[in-house]
Amino acid sequence: MPNKKSLHIESSGQLCIYCGACVGICPLNCIYLDETRITFDERICTRCEICVRACPVGAIEIG
Amino acid sequence: MLDQKTDVLVIGAGPAGSMTAKWAAKHGAKVLMIEKRQEIGSPVRCGEGMSKEWLPEVGIRPGKWINVEVEGARIFSPSEKVFEINEKDAGNEVGYVVERDGFDKQLAIDAANEGVDVVLKTAAVAVLKEGKRIVGARVKQFGETFEIRAPITIGADGFESQVGRWAGLPTNLQLRDMDTCLQYRMTNVDCDTRYCDFYLGKVAPGGYVWVFPKDQGLANVGIGVQVSQLKSMAEARSYLDAWIDKHPGYAKGKKIDIVGGGVSISAPLKQTVTDGFMLVGDAARMIDPLTGGGIANGCIAGKICGEVAARAVEANDPSAAFLQAYEKGWRARLEEKLYRNWLAKEKLCTIPDETFDKIIDALQDVRLEKLSVHNILKAVHEKYPEVTKEFESFL
Repeated sequence: MPNKKSLHIESSGQLCIYCGACVGICPLNCIYLDETRITFDERICTRCEICVRACPVGAIEIG
Repeated sequence: MLDQKTDVLVIGAGPAGSMTAKWAAKHGAKVLMIEKRQEIGSPVRCGEGMSKEWLPEVGIRPGKWINVEVEGARIFSPSEKVFEINEKDAGNEVGYVVERDGFDKQLAIDAANEGVDVVLKTAAVAVLKEGKRIVGARVKQFGETFEIRAPITIGADGFESQVGRWAGLPTNLQLRDMDTCLQYRMTNVDCDTRYCDFYLGKVAPGGYVWVFPKDQGLANVGIGVQVSQLKSMAEARSYLDAWIDKHPGYAKGKKIDIVGGGVSISAPLKQTVTDGFMLVGDAARMIDPLTGGGIANGCIAGKICGEVAARAVEANDPSAAFLQAYEKGWRARLEEKLYRNWLAKEKLCTIPDETFDKIIDALQDVRLEKLSVHNILKAVHEKYPEVTKEFESFL
């Protein structure tokens, strides 16, 4: 996956409140919310950064 | 759990899901409702304000889930001039402040009492298709995967709905179609339990700050901001913290709970059914785009959805053509208001703070007999004719 920035969703609970805002806004439907875990599909994600803006607590970072 | 068959599979046990399940079962269908969480209604993801006049229509009786009954709403302009609205006119976030987890549980109990099978800790991971038709879902429970087959599948999986998109319905939101929300439940704050309070303007671009009172000196203090107006990380939290810092009656309070979530503020979807499948509630973007309230609309549509599902099972016809009865039914009941409030919201998002101040200033001097756009504009026109000029097109 060359040239893709890294996306990190902090879902250990230090920041993430498991609210699902990122899941609902993701235009590619590639973020998944378990009760206490958020994951995303590395292959589908285009790093559009929309979830970064939608997260109310800043738990998603793009590097 | 094993692979199984049912008449109606409902994915998600929030208010819309439970209401759909209950009414489908009441009309004779065999209904299975799955919920991915281990506890229905918890954790709460809601400001907990809701109107009440619609409850008899869908068969919900008042219960212990009512925490506070309010008399009305107060709208605060950016310079904090206040306009009071009585509860009947205040829109679908005002009437009761509820214990949302208790409310959701009560609705699930009502569904179960009608014969609905409720299964927890069970998440849908895909829909099953035969050609174009949806024939159930693949679900995961305790690490194992099963197939549930049903002629009618219903997506009631909330704001973060994935089921609708798996079924091929375009539910994607633009940045401007979503508010991101954060709320603290606070104790020891100076709030008036007679009112739900709304603060408009730059304090919350494209949304508002709310204070919904609860008993024992508690209040839900929250914010929704339009995602398209945000520039940096965690800005929703910064806006809310800044608002609280500026209000000593709240700054002295203590936070005992944090709640977050997304709210759609879009125009109504064009399509909510496909062969063998219906979408309902927040998942179908039925949230009122002006107030952000979703419970009433979800429940009202849920009743219609459940009734149509049962009829489709009875007629042995799960085609999209048959399910149009639901599409037409919920639109007849809700669409005009959703669309009108979407237009009003679009206009509100463009109003500068000074104009907000003038509007609320003009309104606080008068007692409107009935709250309508026409009456509001008339009152504003008398004091600030220059303000109403830009609203002529809106009328």
